[in-house]
Amino acid sequence: MAASISGYTFSSVCYHSANSNSDHEGFLLGEVRQEESFSISDAQISNTEFLQVVEIHNHEPCAQLFSFYDYAGKVSEVNLNKILKDRRKNVIGWYRFRRNTQQQMSFREQIIHKQLTQILGVPDLVFLLFSFISTANNSTHALEYVLFRPNKRYNQRVSLSIPNLGNTSQQEYKVSSVPNTSLNYAKVIKEQGAEFFDKDGVMKDIRTIFQVYSALQEKVQAVCGEVEQSERVKEKIQDEVNRLKQEIALRKRKSAEEERRLQELEAAETVESSASVLENSDSSVTSRIGFRSATLERMGLERPGTSDMPPLYSDVVGRDSTTVLGSKANVVFLPRPQAVGSPGHPHPLSLPLGDGSSLDSLDRRAAGQEDEEDEDEEEESNDCENLENELSLSPGDVTLPPSQGRPASLRPDGDSHSTPSS
Amino acid sequence: MNSLSPEVALNRISPELRPLLSSVVRNGRVGLDSTNCLRITDLKSGCTSLTPGPCCDRFKLHIPYAGETLKWDIIFNARDPELPPDFIFGEDVEFLPEASELPHLVSWDARDPECLLLLVKELVQQYHQYQCQRLRESSRLLFEYDSLLEDPSYGRGMEIYAGRKNSWTGEFSARFLLKLPVDFSNIPVYLLKDTALDPGEDVALLSVSFEDAEATQVFPKLYLSPSIEHALGGSSALHIPAFPSGGCLIDYVPQVCQLLTSKVQYVIQGYHKRREYIAAFLSHFGMGVVEYDAEGFTKLTLLLMWKEFCFLVHVDLPLYFPCDQPTLTFQSVYHFTSSGQLYSQVQKSYPYSPRWDGNEMAKRAKAYFKSFIPQFQEGAFANGKL
Repeated sequence: MAASISGYTFSSVCYHSANSNSDHEGFLLGEVRQEESFSISDAQISNTEFLQVVEIHNHEPCAQLFSFYDYAGKVSEVNLNKILKDRRKNVIGWYRFRRNTQQQMSFREQIIHKQLTQILGVPDLVFLLFSFISTANNSTHALEYVLFRPNKRYNQRVSLSIPNLGNTSQQEYKVSSVPNTSLNYAKVIKEQGAEFFDKDGVMKDIRTIFQVYSALQEKVQAVCGEVEQSERVKEKIQDEVNRLKQEIALRKRKSAEEERRLQELEAAETVESSASVLENSDSSVTSRIGFRSATLERMGLERPGTSDMPPLYSDVVGRDSTTVLGSKANVVFLPRPQAVGSPGHPHPLSLPLGDGSSLDSLDRRAAGQEDEEDEDEEEESNDCENLENELSLSPGDVTLPPSQGRPASLRPDGDSHSTPSS
Repeated sequence: MNSLSPEVALNRISPELRPLLSSVVRNGRVGLDSTNCLRITDLKSGCTSLTPGPCCDRFKLHIPYAGETLKWDIIFNARDPELPPDFIFGEDVEFLPEASELPHLVSWDARDPECLLLLVKELVQQYHQYQCQRLRESSRLLFEYDSLLEDPSYGRGMEIYAGRKNSWTGEFSARFLLKLPVDFSNIPVYLLKDTALDPGEDVALLSVSFEDAEATQVFPKLYLSPSIEHALGGSSALHIPAFPSGGCLIDYVPQVCQLLTSKVQYVIQGYHKRREYIAAFLSHFGMGVVEYDAEGFTKLTLLLMWKEFCFLVHVDLPLYFPCDQPTLTFQSVYHFTSSGQLYSQVQKSYPYSPRWDGNEMAKRAKAYFKSFIPQFQEGAFANGKL
């Protein structure tokens, strides 16, 4: 149980008591509430604590001793009601002040307390005992107070706190939950409140600030929409750029293959013509020329513009990209740049594009985009990877060990090492 | 705590409350141990410090009970002297008397000087019942209590203090204080009046402490009022037996009672025997008696003459006469010792029997004088100087 008393109630009780030339008693008014605190810790053991909080808001002093009980300590309910009137339901305890006595409930106080508990119907009625202890020469007087919970075992004592009594520079100033029952306060607020409060009782400044807040929220929402749209446009353009890059790569690969085939054919013809030169050196030239011409003509169907000039970009773009996809067998395996910590396994890469495209798209794909992309798109993305490495590699290189060239991923302990190939 | 004399305490009390406390500090005897009066300490005031004195209206009252001293706070209000006081029962926080059974609280009358004292007595009575209830924690001790209660000669004068359990050992202890029903009225007055303080009522109290609930450690002790103790020959004269192992109070207490009664009877008898002795010597020696103790009959001095030789005989009768033999001191009237004292000889062993009556003792003493005097005379002449 925790208990608190408002500063003004405490000082009022002390004032009444100090000015009394004998023992003094009265009733405590306030409220009792239950607080439930639920704490969760790392151990995942939940803890629920119930705390009964007693708040003393006010007091009702008795004009004299024995005003509601007789010599034997028997409480008179009639006299009690005369003192409390309509505040009886707010009674949560009673208090007594006696000078120079022990901080212990007396015989009569215990008898009265038991009866008050029953009559008032407050099972946990508290008793506050004040005492002035003075030294023999009256030079020092100490005000002592103890809050008892007599209905509990061993006459439990409860610590009583007074909010904001202390060093408030180091503590948070607490707002009291005591309801303000002052008539004068209510009157002043009613008269002067129109300048500060609106018709709903809310402070005007608060409403203004709230309006500013709302306006800012709207603007932010609008900007969010614009950002979203621009992001979508950007995505579309990026997709198109990627597609075009892939087509370029395919065309280049195809042209490279055709050149190689052509070279092979030429090499084979050269050998045959050498052999026939020994038998008929005159006719071989013509046939060679013819063969070459025939070869070239044959090659012309597949390779328009058979000159040493590289094909036009427009020609390359116009080609059907699907014909390029079949050439998986000649794909070169190159190490794929890895983000730190990402799992490393090699993917088939296309020949270097040499166009300096960024790795942004690669990162996006490396982040684990789902299988909603179809297989074709995935292969196309793989072809675009490791552009920087491709610039330094020749097309005819065979598969490199995946560990080479891959940036080292760091172990959790900070040491770097090359991740093994999967 | 400072113990104040009754007068000092009364002077500090608020004048309206003084009559009530006067009867407490002057005449207040509560419980069995009436030799100790009620004491007041720690006088304080409930008025503001600026109130001129005397205005003390709250104090601590010390009440002897069952060998302990109860320290109860009594709280008045000097500004409302007609109101009854409140009490704080010290360490006995669980003691809560029934207010309706305190007639002097229910009908408190501040004008009656005895009201407070009577109220305190009623509270002590309820405290006694409270302690008896606490004995229920030990069946053994409860048996002791119930068995004593059945005997009215012990049950009426009994105080129980059921102490707190030892927090270390968990042992439960209790003390029984019993007033022994021994009649001291026939003890000669001269034995009782020779005390420095007003002895009050003559009483013998037996305190039996049970240090454990199973009664394996039992320590009895006998308390006598000062006059009785003096009459019986001091504290060393009376030894009570140890509590028998496995015994119980209902057997032990009568045993102690009997022992004490016998002692008292012996003392009374001795007095009468001494008186008889002196009377017999007066009869036999007539004019030869110089002086004798006419109150306690413990001394007798004779002036005798044998063959022109005069001598004094001092007879000292002990407390437990006739069991203990009287001492005869022969003294020459002529001869001095070197230290300037009259030459004398003490005789403690001479023909004597405690079964002789006074008359026989006087006759035998006379005969002994005759037989011893020649020897004494020779000794006086030889060792003394004129």
